[in-house]
Amino acid sequence: MPRVDSQTQNVEQTRSDGPGANPGPRRASTLRRDSATSYTFLAPFLVIFAVFLVFPVFYSLYLALHQVPADSFDIFGGLEFVAFRNFAKLFTDTKFWWSVLMTLYYAALIIPSGIAASLALALLLNNRLRFVAAYRSAFFMPYVLDMLVVGIVWTLIYSPHVGILTRIFESVGITAFTERGFLGMPASAMPSVVFANVLKGAGFGMILYLSAIQNISPSLYEAAEIDGASPWKRFTSITLPLVKPITLFMVIIGTIGALNAFAEVYAMTSGGPNVDVGGRALGATWVTGYYVFDTFYTQFKLGYAAAMSYVLLGLTLLISLVNRRFLRAEV
Amino acid sequence: MDRTGVVVARRTFLYVGLTVAAIVVLFPFFWMVVTAFKEPGQAFSQEILPSKPTLENFRRVLSDYGFARYFVNSVIVATIAALFATLFATMAGYVFAKKQFIGRDKLFGFLLASLMIPGMMYVVPQFAIINKLGWMNTYQAMIVPHLANVFGLFLMRQYMMTIPSELLEAAKIDGAGEWQVFRTIMIPLSIPIIATLFLLTFQFHWNNFLWQLIVTNVERLYTVPVGLAMFKSAHEELYTLKMAGSCISVLPIAGLFFFAQRYFIEGMTMGALKG
Repeated sequence: MPRVDSQTQNVEQTRSDGPGANPGPRRASTLRRDSATSYTFLAPFLVIFAVFLVFPVFYSLYLALHQVPADSFDIFGGLEFVAFRNFAKLFTDTKFWWSVLMTLYYAALIIPSGIAASLALALLLNNRLRFVAAYRSAFFMPYVLDMLVVGIVWTLIYSPHVGILTRIFESVGITAFTERGFLGMPASAMPSVVFANVLKGAGFGMILYLSAIQNISPSLYEAAEIDGASPWKRFTSITLPLVKPITLFMVIIGTIGALNAFAEVYAMTSGGPNVDVGGRALGATWVTGYYVFDTFYTQFKLGYAAAMSYVLLGLTLLISLVNRRFLRAEV
Repeated sequence: MDRTGVVVARRTFLYVGLTVAAIVVLFPFFWMVVTAFKEPGQAFSQEILPSKPTLENFRRVLSDYGFARYFVNSVIVATIAALFATLFATMAGYVFAKKQFIGRDKLFGFLLASLMIPGMMYVVPQFAIINKLGWMNTYQAMIVPHLANVFGLFLMRQYMMTIPSELLEAAKIDGAGEWQVFRTIMIPLSIPIIATLFLLTFQFHWNNFLWQLIVTNVERLYTVPVGLAMFKSAHEELYTLKMAGSCISVLPIAGLFFFAQRYFIEGMTMGALKG
């Protein structure tokens, strides 16, 4: 996914040499002819975009504001208008607020650990060593594979009693996970989902960090070395500040990823295991993305799911707004 | 320690670090493969490597549990979708890179803004549209909604902007039409990015599990991930078979990555790095 700030930059770039700057009579007719050609080339893309990406955003709002009968999937027209009833219900839905909390918890775990893992791999690879390319590929490879499959494999590894990781822990005397496995205990379920996901995704951040690190001028390090800076000092005062744009980017895509988290939860925990919160059973990995899916696919409450996805959109926009503020202030 | 001693120690440390990291990162896939070769029901045997490796699990998931069919479906969906998504993005990328037309910059900004919208947003309304069109349980339901790939368009445009416009103008002076310029100049000069986008969209559709799950409910049309998810919930305990199914699901993408990793890595990180 491209970075948003880079995109605006590109738009501005094209604007400077764009049309309309000096449309003489001849330019104007060329522009008209070119426009016709251009939209012909764009037609297939724009038709799909309009029907399947633009229309749904508005249609989702329509659904969110209407009562969708539970037994019907033909939901064009004839629906009862209920205004903000779905949203009102959502704001008093403990399960929903819990899911937001779990999403934040998920983000709070995966963003720092993902950044740390990516940066560590990049630092290891930023050396003149043999087989660097092979290691780089090995670290990146899981990123292209299916989250569902990765999740299924991890359920096997995390299994109670017989899972390989459970047995490894047992062999060093840790039997806490034996009975219920890593995914069966509320305290370890979310960290275990995150761990599996970090190993899968670290290769992506690694490439970004690696290219940022390789862009740092060696003379900076040499100067610091002459001044007697320790390797740790060089890392914290040269490397870290200079890769900060990548770190901020990782925070943004990490947040968006957390708000969309679904496949990892579906494959590994289905939102469980349940914890008792004030007498209510709530899932320890019950993230919002999974709740939307569950509401739609298992409970067939389409209007409610649409309302929830709108709140998800609101949260995404809010967070990226905050992030952009932060980005502008810091860089 | 003398200078060479330090260098050797440092190198050893780095190799050990890299190797440990590689083992940890790749372990799940190693475990998936060895479990798939264990005898059925022996998923949790104490041995690391199967003493009597068998292809029985693969035979059974492919024939008894329909994975051969799912595999064909996945190939059909991912190939057709990748072809059209790449073609549409190439055509659109061309005009955004090389043409001046009314509303260009506004439209481009609008397209890019759509990347901010969380994917979960689309699930319910897209399902409603597919249902209205009567496309439930069809290939086109799995393919068509994802053919407008904005990220792909962005990659295309970035790449095509580096192709000198003089080449296009020269061809036009020689009397070539728009489509001819596109076909005989832009496409040949953009082969690396076209290959990249084809691979990325193929990978996307191969792994597009959630959407494929939503629009199919007949076994005949299951793709590999959907078949795997159904198998997972129906046969929770058949781990060796599940791992064989997982291998079948992962193998094509792992293979493509092995042969074309440069395209994958560059394509996936380009959007974040350039600009």
